[in-house]
Amino acid sequence: MTHSLHREGSLDSLEKDYVLFIYPARGFNYKGSAPKVRHLVELLYQAGPVNMCVTTLRRNLYSGVKPEEVLESIKVEGARVFSVFDCRDKLKDALIRIKEANEGISIMVSGLIDQVREIAAEIGIDPYMVNLSLGIHGRTDRLPPADIREFTTMCGHGVVSPYLVRDVIRRVKAGKVTEWEGSLIIAEPCACGIYNPFRSSELLREKAPLYTVDRW
Amino acid sequence: MIIHPELCVGCGRCHPYCPTNAIRYEGQKSVIDQEICYECSTCLRSSHCPVDAIAESHNVCDYPRALRRYFSDPSARHVATGIEGRGTEETKSADVTRRCGPGKVGVAIEIGRPTLGMSLLDVQKITRAIARAGVHKIEPHNPIHSMIADEATGDLKPEMLGERLLSAIIEIEVERDQLRGILRTLKEVAGEVDSVFCIDAFTVVGPRLHIPEDVLESIRAEGFTWRPNAKINMGLGRAWE
Repeated sequence: MTHSLHREGSLDSLEKDYVLFIYPARGFNYKGSAPKVRHLVELLYQAGPVNMCVTTLRRNLYSGVKPEEVLESIKVEGARVFSVFDCRDKLKDALIRIKEANEGISIMVSGLIDQVREIAAEIGIDPYMVNLSLGIHGRTDRLPPADIREFTTMCGHGVVSPYLVRDVIRRVKAGKVTEWEGSLIIAEPCACGIYNPFRSSELLREKAPLYTVDRW
Repeated sequence: MIIHPELCVGCGRCHPYCPTNAIRYEGQKSVIDQEICYECSTCLRSSHCPVDAIAESHNVCDYPRALRRYFSDPSARHVATGIEGRGTEETKSADVTRRCGPGKVGVAIEIGRPTLGMSLLDVQKITRAIARAGVHKIEPHNPIHSMIADEATGDLKPEMLGERLLSAIIEIEVERDQLRGILRTLKEVAGEVDSVFCIDAFTVVGPRLHIPEDVLESIRAEGFTWRPNAKINMGLGRAWE
């Protein structure tokens, strides 16, 4: 899950992409964390994430799972939550609710540093630590093109295949699926629930005309 | 992972789901190249095989092949850490655990990312380079730590070296004034590995998310830049156990 800081894309695109984690710490606040995490998930739902997954169920928002099933599953200590928001305002709303709830569980946000800094100042939060991405090194010539990586790096575990992205682009271009349907196909392998299908739809709309079926 | 040939109807639906392109046709049937497969289970989880021909490899739980699954399948719980995935909680709960406190910088080297995968030989090239640079302590809660045969040299256990993983993370912690040296080492070893790696640098921040200038200066001095997006611990956690 560390990989969320390496999400690639233009600033305009990343402004519509904020990942939020809820993370109890083993040996520090695991015990008694289940009702607190459950409460925080209730608050997240109110803020309107565009995707979410809880480790107790491992099913993302588009798997057909109902909110009550997700909440009901949070019974074990140490449940972790992965979510993503498609705009600054929703992220801010979520953080305001979480701050007011004061449950004491660690909250991480992956997103544009300047935006997160502003939001934190606006709602009176002092972040503790930053994890900076210093880029990709080594055999970068073996990587898929950067525009394909804008899709694949949205999965925290790296299991969204570049070949699937290419296949979906082909299907969008052929009119077999819409951009939204294509985004949900790409999102499905992402077991961590931080694939942003709204951003992905925009990317498909933007990239599909640039590709011929046989490119790459 | 394997595809049962007697069941496969050769529709090819599973092919694009494999992050490493290990599924191909042999005749009119799909097969998975066992050398390339990372045992990430993505094909089984997501590709909706119409005849349920995809299954786990018979030896997926055998050591050392089991490493592929522990590091590559996000739903597999790693025996060394007790959590799913390839890493630790690193910055995610640092406001509670106080890991990597003031004066320190955490460095994580995410090998095989994004989505390229790698051989454990590549991991060893990096652990050796780090050891030569004088850092002999890999984060003990990271599964890589249990794979080190000799901390002084950075050598991994030899029986593992033939394995391939979708990704692994080497996590270390250094004093801030050591950051430049480590970044220089990583720049040099980047020319030796046959895969890619992403570098993370994590540090405690000041008020208003102020990133310590000496950390940024070390990054700049070695010719690195940082992305405009980052992972930020919001400082809302507290310990009660």
